[in-house]
Amino acid sequence: MHKFTTLIQTAWQRALTHRFSIIAYRIGEIIEVIFLIIMWSSLYEHTAVISGYTLPEMLTYILVGNLITFVTRNFLSDFMAREIKDGTLSLFLVKPISYFTYACIREFGRITMPFLLSLGTHLLIILFFWHRLIITTQVSRLLLLLLMVAGAFITELLISYIVGLIAFWTDEVDGVYTTINRLKKFVSGGYFPLSLLPSLYIKISYTLPFAYSFFVPTQLYLGKISNTTALKGIGVQIIWIGLLCGIIKLVWRRGVRRYEGVGI
Amino acid sequence: MTIIEVKNLSKTYEYYKKQAGLWNSVKSLFHREKLFTDAVKNINFTINEGELVGFLGPNGAGKTTTLKMLSGIIYPSRGEASVLGFTPWKRQPIFQKQFALVMGQKNQLWWDLPAMESFILNKEIYEVPDKQFKTTLDELSRLLEIKEILEIPVRKLSLGQRMKCELAAALLHSPKVLFLDEPTIGLDVVSQKNIREFLKKYNKQTKTTIILTSHYMEDVEALCERVVIINHGSLIYDGALSKLMDRYVDQKMLEITFTEDIAKTTLEQLGTIAEFTPQRVLLEVPKQKTKEVAIKVLSNLPVDDILINEVPIDEVIRKIFTASKTL
Repeated sequence: MHKFTTLIQTAWQRALTHRFSIIAYRIGEIIEVIFLIIMWSSLYEHTAVISGYTLPEMLTYILVGNLITFVTRNFLSDFMAREIKDGTLSLFLVKPISYFTYACIREFGRITMPFLLSLGTHLLIILFFWHRLIITTQVSRLLLLLLMVAGAFITELLISYIVGLIAFWTDEVDGVYTTINRLKKFVSGGYFPLSLLPSLYIKISYTLPFAYSFFVPTQLYLGKISNTTALKGIGVQIIWIGLLCGIIKLVWRRGVRRYEGVGI
Repeated sequence: MTIIEVKNLSKTYEYYKKQAGLWNSVKSLFHREKLFTDAVKNINFTINEGELVGFLGPNGAGKTTTLKMLSGIIYPSRGEASVLGFTPWKRQPIFQKQFALVMGQKNQLWWDLPAMESFILNKEIYEVPDKQFKTTLDELSRLLEIKEILEIPVRKLSLGQRMKCELAAALLHSPKVLFLDEPTIGLDVVSQKNIREFLKKYNKQTKTTIILTSHYMEDVEALCERVVIINHGSLIYDGALSKLMDRYVDQKMLEITFTEDIAKTTLEQLGTIAEFTPQRVLLEVPKQKTKEVAIKVLSNLPVDDILINEVPIDEVIRKIFTASKTL
């Protein structure tokens, strides 16, 4: 256990040396959110409801959804691909700790500070617009939400790990990574609520892991889905986590056999 | 006691052929010719506890590939190896806690943080007890003279300082076996010498078994009694460095300076001229004739000084490499 806390602490210390860049990223995030708020506000000027969403609901959807996206995302694939490609992976392969554990815990430590800062900036925006938003205080719902977000965090980390492992075969994963991110934003409801689309589409989204990083948890927050549906959703997440772990095991075993440890 | 045993170890890499040019790049998207190269071919050797063995060979000879297999980074295509009784590529933690790998071209230290942070992380990963960590660190910082730089971010250190810290990071868990891949690469002469002296002392004190690859003959001469020479993936010599000299060298070098100019033709009768200026000559002479030639020179020519030297070792190695290429 000690090695995990030390690894996280080391990653935190590293993050602190890059504080300027981390803060600079947050500025972009704030601008994006404010832009979305302005856009939707003007779309609602002549109508009170779009696809069952009132303006406060829509604004809440954007703010809460973005907040969840920011706290569940990671940058693991890029980091891993580089380590596999330039042979740095060799350094981890000789250590008495699995690369999976090492990479995931380090990533957790790496994103903690951006996570906290994003949380801070979003809470600030929410505070600023609070009279135009929907605030939920139902404890059971918030607890389920927390569970779902934790599940989404793990799912995203595992997906990134798999994408990173592709580097054993192709050396570069930027293309796959970017494509997956674009698709993800679309099917997770990141561009607009999935409720605007046909119901079949929504049904499919519920069985995929991506919607749980944006659409489903915000629906839960807004009370548009019941706690029972949310529980089912968490079940789907757990199945995905198991599935992804299995895939990782298989892919790793094959990939590491191909690894040549170039560059030394 | 045998620590490392290698039996018929082989590694074949596969790669794709692509001819130069844009059109060929486009073609290679659809069809690529798969090729194989034998990086290591049927290598056998054993290494005993406390030995310091040098791996020699030109670039691409298979030294590093062998080291990678012995540290479990890559899987062999054929053959077996055992290090401390374990199969390296099974990567069992109990084995990994007993060996270390240092690569001159790859750093394990966290770039933005002081080396101390990486040390503490390694302490946890290798589960080194607090007390042992403290004594080992004290000892290593004394031997390597790095006490003063442990608190400075690694990126601010010079290459030589960084290499010393890399060595310390690798040795904190007191490994029984140490693999060094080009530990002195890119270092200046003084830093090279420091690292060399440290390794020598460390090997003597701790009886750690060490395999070292290096392009610098000074490293090998100063450190290794035994050398393993690999070329084109095959082992071509395994034995004492001194025996290597006996076997492959049947010449000595006479370095003579004269008090006045001497004609080249006079000297050509005595041996092969390696270097010549009118007042100084480097003469290659068969071993058994050395004495005879020296007497002749001293009695017939206006000699200022005469030195009888061994052929430099890198010259010998170069000869072996070129000879094995034509085999």
